Amino acid sequence: MRIDNAYFTRRKFLNSILGGWLGAVAASFISPIVKFVWPPYKEPDEVKLVFADYSGMQPGEVKNFAWGAKPGLLKRAQDGSFIAWVGVCTHLDCNVSWIPDKKQFFCACHDGWYDENGTNVAGPPPKPLRRLESSVEGEDLFIRKPGVGAKT
Amino acid sequence: MKIDMKKFAAWFDDRLALTPIFKYMTKKEVPQHEHSFWYYTGSSILLFFFIQIVTGMMLAFYYKPTLEGATDSIGRIMTELPLGWLVRSIHSWSATFMIAFVMIHLLAIWFTKSYRKPREATWMTGMMLLVVSMVFGFTGYLLPWDDLSLSATKVGTNIPMAIPVVGKWVTQLLRGGDDVTGDTLTRFYMFHVCILPLVIFAILIVHILLVQKEGMSVPLKDEIAKKKVPALPFWPNFVLREVVIWFVLLGVLLTIAVLFAPSLEPTADLMAPAPEGVKPEWYFLFLFQTLKIFPANMGPVTGEFVAVMLILIAVVAIFFLPFLDNKPEGKKGKVFQYFGVAGVIYAIAFSIWSLL
Amino acid sequence: MRKTRISFFLVMASLVLAPLAAAAQQTGAPPKVKDKAQIKGRAFGSPLARGLYSRASTAEVDPLAKPGAPAAVEAAVSAQAAPAQEAKPAPALTRDVNTRLSTAEADPQAKPGAPAAVPPAAKKPAAKKAEVKRTEPIVPAYSGIKEKTAVFVFYVWLWFAIAVMIYFLRLWIKEADRVYWAKYYEPEESPRKDNPLAPVLGD
Repeated sequence: MRIDNAYFTRRKFLNSILGGWLGAVAASFISPIVKFVWPPYKEPDEVKLVFADYSGMQPGEVKNFAWGAKPGLLKRAQDGSFIAWVGVCTHLDCNVSWIPDKKQFFCACHDGWYDENGTNVAGPPPKPLRRLESSVEGEDLFIRKPGVGAKT
Repeated sequence: MKIDMKKFAAWFDDRLALTPIFKYMTKKEVPQHEHSFWYYTGSSILLFFFIQIVTGMMLAFYYKPTLEGATDSIGRIMTELPLGWLVRSIHSWSATFMIAFVMIHLLAIWFTKSYRKPREATWMTGMMLLVVSMVFGFTGYLLPWDDLSLSATKVGTNIPMAIPVVGKWVTQLLRGGDDVTGDTLTRFYMFHVCILPLVIFAILIVHILLVQKEGMSVPLKDEIAKKKVPALPFWPNFVLREVVIWFVLLGVLLTIAVLFAPSLEPTADLMAPAPEGVKPEWYFLFLFQTLKIFPANMGPVTGEFVAVMLILIAVVAIFFLPFLDNKPEGKKGKVFQYFGVAGVIYAIAFSIWSLL
Repeated sequence: MRKTRISFFLVMASLVLAPLAAAAQQTGAPPKVKDKAQIKGRAFGSPLARGLYSRASTAEVDPLAKPGAPAAVEAAVSAQAAPAQEAKPAPALTRDVNTRLSTAEADPQAKPGAPAAVPPAAKKPAAKKAEVKRTEPIVPAYSGIKEKTAVFVFYVWLWFAIAVMIYFLRLWIKEADRVYWAKYYEPEESPRKDNPLAPVLGD
């Protein structure tokens, strides 16, 4: 079939087919590259600590542990149980410290204060400290993200 | 929404005035003769160089250029990251391909005598590019910091010591001291990632501009006979053919990279003896063997000194080849052809010998 | 010219087929474990090393290498109980030279103004890691049949894509040659003011 005068020329057809196929091939090459450079590091779901290090804590005492690459805060409540938070300010991710005299957590970056339950009381932090669940199983102290069950 | 390419192009042209470049691309002609497929070697080198840049950047996201972190970071790339082993493998094999094509390009120019007037400067910048590419390979080889690469680097950075007067300082500059240490690794990384790319870009731009300025060369006999060689426009005809070659080369590279991915040898140990079978990358093998055949003492100087001097003289001679071969059409020209063949045989034979 | 073209494509075809043939032959019986002295180094990559070293899969990655891994933290916190053990690990001669130059030694608590909440445990994994020196090579291996299949599919896709590309490109080359010989675009004679890129991109 021959069309004498056509707007859609053989040239245009070839161009679009080739361009489309080039695009598909390029996408198939680009996607592994993107997958490669996307950051692989994730926060852990749970962290196992040696209970012996923390069993001697007094009520009201706060100790640190490593939650992935961030600090975690472990506090012994008055009734002897453990409360765990991610020790990172909810404002702009600075590490917080425990001020025992004031019984509050303090973020030095922008003067943020949290009380002893992790609730934000003063300064810019918008939310309380992120809570983590803790459970003692035998010799280990497990700190988990809330909702993550024990791994058998 | 219909994208109107014409308006787009006109907008850019009003501001950047790039039309002369595009006009040149259509005007540039590539001669078609029996040796014209060697023209593809130059752009193939560019293809592999581009692949090196992309994969190099991807690797550099996760590579740690310190003594403690280097080999573990590469282990992490190979085992944890998605297709990390493939990225590393492509980077390693593309280096091999790039240097292989650089040598093929050199031989093609040698045997077609394309370095004759007025293309001497192109040849000299090309030789500089060859040296820089091999230094790229040498610096990159140390970066995994495994025992084979450590030994190869110790040998390699020891060689400049044989040069009189400046040798010791050159070695100290390369090593960051008298010995190969963690500083050497960081220094080589700096060379590989920052200094050498700038150098090679500078020389490459000069080389490519010179090629455009002088035009593509034709075989000697056609020039002597003043024959008008049929030609193809560079854009789009020749570029499309180049793209075909690029795709085939890309396919070959990826195939080999997947099938023959390199492994990561045990961590380098500065105190351990050199492992068995230590050798440099393949493009240094013939030089390695040349060093080995000279006896330890030759009269008042060491054998190493003689070997290094001979190699340097050969490199300088090849650098100035267009000036040595100033009558390419005569009998002298034929002599240089035989030299070329002899050089190829020497390089291949010595490389194979060093593996035995 | 035809002879050189044929020889050129023969070279390319052998470049493609040779590694495939070599790989096909290698999937037979694995090579016998050779004496290490016979291994000829890294000059030609892993074909010579196939089957000679233990294969590492992702499952064998050293947990100490991952930040936040429970094992790392456990080791770190237990090391915290004895802070005096910050000293460098036992003197394998190898580490003496290196630890002098190591940047991992900078004590974060020595820096003025470091937040007091940074747990000293974060430093310990670095010191512990310095002890573990890898003595086995890491050979790239498929972590499972899934990955092997994926790579095989990628292969087939790659060459299929290239074949399709080359088919279209040949059509385009023929078209470009035809346009050239018909002298359709002569940049000198028809300066296209409305579309300066017409010679390059077409209409």
